[in-house]
Amino acid sequence: MSTVELRLVHTPVTPFTREHAVDFERYGTLIEFHLRHGADALALPMHVGESVSLPDPERRALLEFAVQQVNGRKPIIAHVSESGTRMAAALARHAEAVGAAAITAAAPYYWTPPPAMLVKHFAEIGAAVGIPLFVYNAPDEMQGTRLNTDLCRKLIEHAPNFAGVVDLSLDWQFMIELMTDAPRLRPGFQLLAGTELMVSAAAIGATGMFAPLAGIAPRTVDELYRLCRDQKLFAARPVQERVAALRQAAKRSGVAGVKAAMRAMGRDCGDPRPPVLPLDPVAYQRLVAELDSIGALASEPRGW
Amino acid sequence: MPAKFKGVMQSPVTPLKDDFSLDLPTFERLLDFHVRTGATAISWPHHKGESLNLTFAERKLFAEAAVGVVDGRIPVTIHVSALAVEDTMELARHAQKIGADGILAITPYFWAPSLEAIYVYFARLCSSVDIPVLSYNSPSYLAGVEITGELMSRLIERLPNFVGVKEASFNSEKFLEISRAALAMRPDFAMLTGVEYLLPSVPLGGVGSYSAAGSICPNLCTRLFDACIAGDWPRARELQSKISWLWLLFRDQYPSSLKGGMVMMGRPVGPTRAPLPTAAKERQAFIYGELERLGILATEPHGW
Repeated sequence: MSTVELRLVHTPVTPFTREHAVDFERYGTLIEFHLRHGADALALPMHVGESVSLPDPERRALLEFAVQQVNGRKPIIAHVSESGTRMAAALARHAEAVGAAAITAAAPYYWTPPPAMLVKHFAEIGAAVGIPLFVYNAPDEMQGTRLNTDLCRKLIEHAPNFAGVVDLSLDWQFMIELMTDAPRLRPGFQLLAGTELMVSAAAIGATGMFAPLAGIAPRTVDELYRLCRDQKLFAARPVQERVAALRQAAKRSGVAGVKAAMRAMGRDCGDPRPPVLPLDPVAYQRLVAELDSIGALASEPRGW
Repeated sequence: MPAKFKGVMQSPVTPLKDDFSLDLPTFERLLDFHVRTGATAISWPHHKGESLNLTFAERKLFAEAAVGVVDGRIPVTIHVSALAVEDTMELARHAQKIGADGILAITPYFWAPSLEAIYVYFARLCSSVDIPVLSYNSPSYLAGVEITGELMSRLIERLPNFVGVKEASFNSEKFLEISRAALAMRPDFAMLTGVEYLLPSVPLGGVGSYSAAGSICPNLCTRLFDACIAGDWPRARELQSKISWLWLLFRDQYPSSLKGGMVMMGRPVGPTRAPLPTAAKERQAFIYGELERLGILATEPHGW
């Protein structure tokens, strides 16, 4: 079984043209930007990359493009979440075939699955490939569906390549329980913060972070990650507070907010695809003003 | 003034006789036990103290006992939350009259109040007394009712005796939202959490917690706090992990299991009032086995 130690994982948006087609040229530029600005790995297309708005062939083409563009310089983690287990497993097989270093999968969309269904779903996705599987635990994005420790224990038993959890529950008890249990059952088990809220997770034992804001503020994100990695958690607090302010401002309007902030930083990746609406001009100006007031962006790169 | 609410603060359970009436002598022994074993403050009656299953005469009687027995050795706060807000106001005035060092109050029960209603409630409560007031944020128990960062700012701006919060979301983002707002305006505002979740909260600016397990393992609680304040994260992880096991053990029918565990530690405090069950002999024996496995019996005081 191959392993990969995930550290600072950037999660790029997906650029679209005015006509909402994938803008591959811009995607190449964006990937280079991430690699130049601290990405140890890329995970794509995550929800912030509008994975659910990409038809299957496009999603595969996007991954293939990214693999070619990165050309082995850094590992790529393919996001393979789907409603149907077979569909997700097919994406997983494709990801492995084209050279992804690992896959990540969330709970199946819509079905609000009970724990036993989740174990089976993830185990079958894991069984489809020989590369590591990282389960993406994001209750707020998945109608409240969440992992629990018992489920993770069972999944360790049933999926030899279940390598870790990317946690967006931000739930202290879950993370503490998980890191009490899982590393004993599976040496090398990894906990990753699912977004740029890493201080508490790092205290508990997280060694990596998924960074959806890295396209907006890569230097701040990098500083936060390094301080957490080095367990300088008191020193990390002011950085964490700045990032939390940025996240609060950008997250309010979801992907539209992230893409608007990218535009404000001089890295236009177009508007989100329907049904997500772009920010209207008033909301855009408000976001720009809020970003200016945070101060965290003063030291960040503008443009490409 | 606020600096006194920090460290591992104990909220005693409520000892009852076999006929479910209050057991005052045992309550006095328990208060003294907490003071002698390192509690930095006493707060009574939390939900763990069966607050909502006590009459107002009982709450006042034991509040007086708590202030009297502790006798200024450490601060005593009174939890004044009641189903009827008018009762809360009465308990708050009583707490001030008997010489309590502060009061604690959760967001109002049952009504799922709007943010504006929560604001009006705390403004009225804080204005009705001169002693310090701590708020209590518990979205998971109150169907998502919670204090936001903006609400926190408004309350702090208006209320000089609003000095701290028991932030019991146990979620990094929610804790940060409140701490960023509060500490920016009042740097000595006491950011506290519940259930000894010190490892994830101290690096974010947390200064202490209300304890769940302090009547079982006061030494462990103190060691965890010391490790967190010293930034000894590997040590803190190990201790937090152990406390987490205990929380799993006790949160099942809390506080019945806790009272059952106290029997095993030689500090019996009687049954639990209905509708909460009382831990049966089998449950107590199971708890004993777990306490033995975790090494609690060897490292923590037995008896009073």
